[in-house]
Amino acid sequence: MEKGVRRWLVDTSKWNPAPHDFSSALSVLPQHERSSITRFLRMEDRKQALVSRLLQYALIHEVLGIPYNEIVINRTFEGKPYLECSHVDAGFPNFNFNVSHDGDYVAIASEPLCLVGVDVVCCIKPLKESVPEFIENFSSYFSSLEWDNLINTGTSDEILADFYRYWCLKEAFVKAVGSGLAYGVDKIEFHHTNWTNISAKVDGEPLTEWRFWLLELPERHWVAVARGHPRFATESYKRTISKAEFDVEDYHKGLNLPNVAFVTRIIEQLIPVSHGEEKQPEQDLLHLSSREA
Amino acid sequence: MASVSATCPRFQPLFSHSNKTGRAPGLKLVSVGWAKFTGFPSLKASRFRVSCSAKPETVEKVIEIVRKQLALKPETVLTSETEFVELGADSLDTVEIVMTLEEEFDINVEEESSQNITSVQEVADLIEKLVQQKAQGES
Repeated sequence: MEKGVRRWLVDTSKWNPAPHDFSSALSVLPQHERSSITRFLRMEDRKQALVSRLLQYALIHEVLGIPYNEIVINRTFEGKPYLECSHVDAGFPNFNFNVSHDGDYVAIASEPLCLVGVDVVCCIKPLKESVPEFIENFSSYFSSLEWDNLINTGTSDEILADFYRYWCLKEAFVKAVGSGLAYGVDKIEFHHTNWTNISAKVDGEPLTEWRFWLLELPERHWVAVARGHPRFATESYKRTISKAEFDVEDYHKGLNLPNVAFVTRIIEQLIPVSHGEEKQPEQDLLHLSSREA
Repeated sequence: MASVSATCPRFQPLFSHSNKTGRAPGLKLVSVGWAKFTGFPSLKASRFRVSCSAKPETVEKVIEIVRKQLALKPETVLTSETEFVELGADSLDTVEIVMTLEEEFDINVEEESSQNITSVQEVADLIEKLVQQKAQGES
């Protein structure tokens, strides 16, 4: 089951494709996925979207061995992507994954049994308001305890950093269950010891069936991972899950799997070899750019 | 017949800045349709339909707010047809956009009504509907 646990990261600031290379990478994906990438107005968003999709396909391919052109990724009503599976792999009762990006990084996480959510944040200073003004916008998303901790953290910079850490964790949780912000993010309250031993409560009750991790990445980025019980999934997401009920022992096998470290991937690794072979000139270009990088 | 002016907002702070006790009543949570989580494009669902179209000034105001929040370059074209998902707004952007809209138009955007808003036009339509309802004394 450990093989179903993946954590990958791509630093997109290191990939600056010429239009030709971008199209080439785009063509790896099935036709219907491409329009959802090209519709973004900003090139930066298109790049992130492309990397995000490629990560999904590459991960599914590596973990489950499904060829790229047989991978079908659908979305729930709320928009959460999931793998359309005609069969369930015995080793992975609920293979599921989640992606996120912000700033320079795109991250993907997968789990074989528990739900997984991941969120990347890039801590940037607000441009048009002070830190207290900025965070005040989001005060209703924090519990009283969290808010008190937050505003008493220290300097503006420290407050901002803690704000982003809380936000990132909350997002990881709501994304794991497959909802948007509509879940009641203010109900989940995070507890931590200097951002380790992270746990959460909902309505005062500890979420014992959940694990949370927060990692610092370069250049003021953080990534949060949430792992938890499938019964927390939203209605629409639950329909995509094979097994929502587990006896305690079986569930703990999934809950207590190691949380592996994030592995950095580069674009070239996300493109299947067979694709490269068909398009010789593009492959050379890609190799060139990776050598230069 | 109350005449609705969407261009003369009364500024009314939503939160009490002095004492952080209760939750802010107005802003629940914005629709998932707006928030761009990677791989979560919004889906156009049919639950919410508006019968009348918003005034151009409202659309323009929405565009101005969105443009400012997302720091879009002048070359980036925004029209009433622009879908939020194309703009790459993340959850933080979305919250701030909704809050700015609430302040500008002096309305409360409830979660349910914003569930399926996907385009600039739909936002403008919703805003005018809420402004009208407020003027008519509905909740």
